[in-house]
Amino acid sequence: MAAAAGSGTPREEEGPSGEAAAPQPQAPTSAPGARLSRLPLARVKALVKADPDVTLAGQEAIFILARAAELFVETIAKDAYCCAQQGKRKTLQRRDLDNAIEAVDEFAFLEGTLD
Amino acid sequence: MASSSGNDDDLTIPRAAINKMIKETLPNVRVANDARELVVNCCTEFIHLISSEANEICNKSEKKTISPEHVIQALESLGFGSYISEVKEVLQECKTVALKRRKASSRLENLGIPEEELLRQQQELFAKARQQQAELAQQEWLQMQQAAQQAQLAAATASASNQAGSSQDEEDDDDI
Repeated sequence: MAAAAGSGTPREEEGPSGEAAAPQPQAPTSAPGARLSRLPLARVKALVKADPDVTLAGQEAIFILARAAELFVETIAKDAYCCAQQGKRKTLQRRDLDNAIEAVDEFAFLEGTLD
Repeated sequence: MASSSGNDDDLTIPRAAINKMIKETLPNVRVANDARELVVNCCTEFIHLISSEANEICNKSEKKTISPEHVIQALESLGFGSYISEVKEVLQECKTVALKRRKASSRLENLGIPEEELLRQQQELFAKARQQQAELAQQEWLQMQQAAQQAQLAAATASASNQAGSSQDEEDDDDI
């Protein structure tokens, strides 16, 4: 005898296809030149809050910190690329970053991340 | 993707974001994977560094919330003063974007389908779906009933014919 009982559970409130009926108003995406950061701001905020000493950080502070981090990445990438070029290589290797870090005083804080 | 499990210390900037930035900074340059990995970690460290310094500056300033000004001072004191002018542009854009967003959301309320209408449509669709589910369930229930009835009928006829045949065998009655 077929057990029809088990398969009969109705799905609750799913509607036809979830989101079809209620479009959300979208925040304006990139107006010319108005992108705030390439880094996901929620993640930046999470990183800031991971510090137990930090109580509150304002939204604008997060924004500019994200932008600073972007600039940092650009700078270190360019520095490392210079090292690669000096080594006459076209591929950026990890050692290029190592060199870039050691060459710049402000990057001393990174020496802990090098294995 | 919020993760409630796992350490906060394992957080990093997502690799994809870093890859994109590297690509824009160094187009047409190949970058080894372990180099990318290192950049991710360095970026994370940078954020910790600046936010920690900014936090200290904030504490000294008797304010409770880290402000853009605190971040700027942190950049300066840690030797990243060259970033400050570009970073200040972000502040300006913040205000512009916030302004546009406020305008846009008020515009959305005036044009297009108002929210109540959208809600109404959604309720309609839910109601329809519920009805369909109910009808389906009803059908299945009916089918089950019919099947059960037929089974009972079959068993009853079988046992009836058995009793007519041989009165010794009562085992068949247990077959339902």
